[in-house]
Amino acid sequence: MTDNAIEVAGLSKKFRIGTERRDSLKERFVRGSGRYDEFWALRDISFAVPRGSTFGLIGHNGSGKSTLLKVLAGVYRPTDGSLATKGRISALLELGAGFHGELTGRENIYLNGAILGLTRKQIAAAMEEIIDFSGIEEFIDSPVKIYSSGMYVRLGFSIAVTVDPEILIVDEIIAVGDEEFQRKCFDHLYELRRRGTTIVVVSHSLGVVADLCDRALWLDKGLLKSIGPVRDVTDNYLEAVNRKEADAKERSGEVSVETDGERTRRLGSGEIRVTHLDFIDHNGNASGFLSGGEKCMIRMHYQAEQELPSVTFGLGFSHESGVNVAGPNSGYGERATKVPAGTGCIDFHIDDLILQPGTFLVTTAVVDRGHTYDYRDRAFELRVRAQEAVTEPGLVRLPGRWTHEQATVSSVPTGSELP
Amino acid sequence: MTAPGVLQYRSLVWNFAQRDMKSRFTGTAIGWAWSLLLPLATLGIYTLVVGHLFKITPAAFGDGSKGNFAVWLFVGLTAWGFFSNSVNISMSALLGTGTLLQKIYFPSFAPVLGAVIGVAIQSAIEVGLVLVVLLVFTNVGFTWLLLPVWIVIFVAFSAGAAMLFAIGNIYFRDLAHIIAVFLQLLFYATPILYQDSLIHDRVLHNVIMSNPLTEFVVLFRDLVYGLTPGRVNIWAGALAWTVFAVSLATFVFHRYGRDLAEQM
Repeated sequence: MTDNAIEVAGLSKKFRIGTERRDSLKERFVRGSGRYDEFWALRDISFAVPRGSTFGLIGHNGSGKSTLLKVLAGVYRPTDGSLATKGRISALLELGAGFHGELTGRENIYLNGAILGLTRKQIAAAMEEIIDFSGIEEFIDSPVKIYSSGMYVRLGFSIAVTVDPEILIVDEIIAVGDEEFQRKCFDHLYELRRRGTTIVVVSHSLGVVADLCDRALWLDKGLLKSIGPVRDVTDNYLEAVNRKEADAKERSGEVSVETDGERTRRLGSGEIRVTHLDFIDHNGNASGFLSGGEKCMIRMHYQAEQELPSVTFGLGFSHESGVNVAGPNSGYGERATKVPAGTGCIDFHIDDLILQPGTFLVTTAVVDRGHTYDYRDRAFELRVRAQEAVTEPGLVRLPGRWTHEQATVSSVPTGSELP
Repeated sequence: MTAPGVLQYRSLVWNFAQRDMKSRFTGTAIGWAWSLLLPLATLGIYTLVVGHLFKITPAAFGDGSKGNFAVWLFVGLTAWGFFSNSVNISMSALLGTGTLLQKIYFPSFAPVLGAVIGVAIQSAIEVGLVLVVLLVFTNVGFTWLLLPVWIVIFVAFSAGAAMLFAIGNIYFRDLAHIIAVFLQLLFYATPILYQDSLIHDRVLHNVIMSNPLTEFVVLFRDLVYGLTPGRVNIWAGALAWTVFAVSLATFVFHRYGRDLAEQM
């Protein structure tokens, strides 16, 4: 017998939608109650979450993730199928949703704790820890209506995680509070996971899901698209998103990504101009984006008015945050390029794209030592996509490898022994 | 709304009751003193108006002494006030927790029962005041001992009715207005301002006596003012109405009470 905290079988959820709801008796009498549109937010979803594991829900906006979460939390009743949960559920669908403005923080802790199904005694026992975790001790006996929005969510999160739930349901908690509090939240989630709490998480941050979860489920328009170990699911999802974006670009004919030239600075004497860039992926196809970790090429197209004997081409990569990341050039002096009149192109080959996922702005330059022929400042946009969910911070994935030599205790030098 | 379900969530029900009571007098200078001052003021106004302006012959006290119409009226109004406040406050309490019901699961009977308990505590203060006034008139009897039984039945009946109206109001928002009219009608169909013996039309008298509120108001007056234990058929009627209201409320809660999050 498997020990599952949550078992869902053939679950479907139907909503009635439409701008004209028949809320009033008159409308029911006059127009009948039979006409409204049906919308299936979830269709035939089956999965199980083993006790003590962490489960992620991913998918586009409107894919039914939040509806599924609400069904799990008991807010909605399934239209069809069955749902079985074992253990007390604490749901974080919206932090601080249950607060009453006139009551103090402490009184609201009692109210929210009671909503989560705790007795007064249990809440009193957890009170100190909750106040401590929230970090708003000096305001705990003031009405919550005077709280800032940050204090509101801090208190809400503190209650939900401190009450020691058996099953914790979390909807997009990533955007809560300041950096310090976010870290505290994550640390606590890992702590809960370690202690054997079953956790179900919805997040758009694949990195978070990949890092936190054991298994994941990918929902697409209310249907279960993929389920399994978290890496497989996030990889499938990313691949689909990448493919979809590539298709969309292709359809709109937008292969060379060039931002509006008028907006960006264009400098130089103009004997030679860069016309556009192509980002060419490892298959040799021009693409709207490049994938991290893959072989690729950036092709710079130019048009020269006259023959130029000594030209240097340069590319500048800056992150959307404004940081300059890299600036390779084709070489000066001996290694400068001779360019005939007319159009042509020059390629920059990359064996392994080490840029992390994100949007980079590309500057092109065509110079001859001190003289600038053409300079297009951040005129092009390069989007780098991940092949897998990335958990490494930073702008580049630093190439390198790790080795570990076993140290013996006695050979470790202490400060005093150093010369 | 099974008994174990209600017991399991008693802490939540109590929290909702506290929330309702606390927010009622928040920000006022004298706070809880209002819950005593308001009924006192009502009693004062009745004494002034009916005692000096209209000369109405009051029903005699149970101890045989000459009655006091203002006190007699106040007794009836206390019982009525509990019922009508329970219904009105429950409807707004459930509507008010709507956004919460969409975020977290908790049984929808909790805010309704919380509201009823909050109103009951307010009414208990008024009942206490009624008893004090009657003590002043030295109108005391052993029938007061039956009061707890009456209270339990009446609270159960009111909670059932409140639950029905509160859930109904989520599905049809017009209900709030219909209830307002209905409560007015019910008020005059209940012998609060008048004695039922004054109605001579047989049909009308039967209509008035079959109204559940009549039974509760008459019983309350019998117990505390008239100092009689009340007629058995009236007790039976009150009990039957209570069983009916609570059963129907339980059925409606199970059938419709779980989908309120989608109807808000």
